[in-house]
Amino acid sequence: MATPAPRTASGEGTLPLEPGLAGPEAGAAIQQSNLWKDAWYRYVRNRAAVVAGAVFLLMLAYCIFWPLISPYDPNEVDFSQARQNPSLEHPLGTDSFGRDLLTRTALGGRISIGIGFAATLVILAIGVAYGATSGFIGGKLDNAMMRVLDALYGLPYLPFAIITLAVIGDAGFWSLVIALSIASWLTTARIVRGQTITLKENDYVRAAKVVGARWQRVLVRHLLPNMLGILVIAVFLELPGVILGEAFLSFIGLGIGPPDASWGSMAQEGYRVYRVFPLLIVIPSVAIATLILCANFIADGLRDALDPRTRET
Amino acid sequence: MTALVVRRLIWTIPVILLVIFLTFVLMRQIEGNPFRTSERAIPESIQRNLEEKYGLDRPWYVQYAKYVRGVFTGDLGPSLVLRNRDVNDIVREHFPVSLQLGGLAMLFALVVGIPLGMLSALRANTWFDYGAMFVSSVGFAIPSFLVATLLIYYFALQWGEYFPFPTSGWEGWESKVLPSIALGLGPMAYFARLTRGSMLETLQQDYIRTARAKGLRWRRVVVVHTLRNSLIPVVTAAGPILGFLITGSFIIEQIFAIPGIGRYYVTAVTGRDYSVVMGLTVLLALIVIVANLVVDILYGFLDPRTRDARA
Repeated sequence: MATPAPRTASGEGTLPLEPGLAGPEAGAAIQQSNLWKDAWYRYVRNRAAVVAGAVFLLMLAYCIFWPLISPYDPNEVDFSQARQNPSLEHPLGTDSFGRDLLTRTALGGRISIGIGFAATLVILAIGVAYGATSGFIGGKLDNAMMRVLDALYGLPYLPFAIITLAVIGDAGFWSLVIALSIASWLTTARIVRGQTITLKENDYVRAAKVVGARWQRVLVRHLLPNMLGILVIAVFLELPGVILGEAFLSFIGLGIGPPDASWGSMAQEGYRVYRVFPLLIVIPSVAIATLILCANFIADGLRDALDPRTRET
Repeated sequence: MTALVVRRLIWTIPVILLVIFLTFVLMRQIEGNPFRTSERAIPESIQRNLEEKYGLDRPWYVQYAKYVRGVFTGDLGPSLVLRNRDVNDIVREHFPVSLQLGGLAMLFALVVGIPLGMLSALRANTWFDYGAMFVSSVGFAIPSFLVATLLIYYFALQWGEYFPFPTSGWEGWESKVLPSIALGLGPMAYFARLTRGSMLETLQQDYIRTARAKGLRWRRVVVVHTLRNSLIPVVTAAGPILGFLITGSFIIEQIFAIPGIGRYYVTAVTGRDYSVVMGLTVLLALIVIVANLVVDILYGFLDPRTRDARA
């Protein structure tokens, strides 16, 4: 389970990013280095994050490529093969309709992970637009926008996702993406606003303004690139919540329906028979848990790598 | 401090109005209404009478104003689908159950999570620490429906003869143990990690070194000087999590057949039962708002520095 962590309270993301002062090599002009090279160097020293990253990529590759080379049709019903335990033929066994679980889990992963990334990107887009506007323009507008944000924090997340799904009508890929992102962009907006305000005070932004750069240029050339690190971290911070949200909605029966499968809808199918054949709920759930575990470790590693000052001691 | 509380209390009114408004607008976008279903064909004239009775024929702003007045006088209106039942009845009957489930899960999360995180921090980088952090990393990632079904599968079915836990219902303490653990495991793991992190940070502060240097016993340093300060992030997180537990218990209620509001909510949304959805959503929002308010007040107690800044 993932909970909406109040990340703003810990104050991260509000620290000024001043690339010139970031590393120990700050004074050494000869050695060309950039933020991303440094970040990569720091990331690979974090063993847990490297393993998590590798597993994450392996899972992505499995979900994308396995259905293409699998000998089984993920939707072919064969009751003579129903509910088989793992064997050489079916490494993860088969479900109640005799469908090969290794293939079907990959297919479910495509939808679950797809929804996860799509909804995360929507969340970031709304969050950046809202937060950057609020922080960049400032003043009364900023104040009003933050009041609205405070009010929206009172919305219960899951109930609003359910209502949104009912409004859209059919439960497909994109309706789930919308339902999951509609009430989850608040924290991102807050982080981005804080970051914008801190960055705005930096000397290079002032300098840009002094030489007559228009605000669009300041925003695109100076503010957004410096926010990239935080946004990359935010992807992996938001992903677990969205993937769990999709699983929950599908589990209640409001998500992806047959013959398509997501990990959530597979778990729901497994739930119907868990007393006699628990494997069916365990496999998609373990897939979800693995992905979320990896995302959490990757987020930790990225945070240490991209924002060294908040590193845990 | 009082000023802060009063200001926050006044601020909840527009927030609740916004929640009512958003729910109202969204619900009206859903196709159809409860009296115009295809399955139960009711004569046109009766349909019109029903809509008139429940005010569905009035303009939306009249309905909205009427509803808002109802909320502030404690009348959530009649259910549109379940005849002869008020939303107030449903709330009175089922809401306490969801509230209790969320509260028990929170209790479990705090009582297990905080000590686990403390012990991990005090024994940092030992096998105990690694074990506890592994468990909480995994506990944080597992979906609650897997936890719930595994708990039932083992503790109620496989080893049922050794344990008194039933598989469903909400009568007596035995039936409340497994659902509370299933719902609280994730937050428990989260609190453990949070406590560990913030405690490690607090232990490095100068005032801890001072306390030790002036000869205080280690136990006293931990309890008096470290704990209070390292619990601040935990308290901050507790508000949203409590709201999440109460609003997010739908799945656990379904798996354990607990008569909370979760099932009502889903059927009410799909059955266009406007007043039930509105009533429950407003109540859930109230819970979230109150939880956040309590956190802000507690925060002021724990960290006096924030008191002046906010008031």
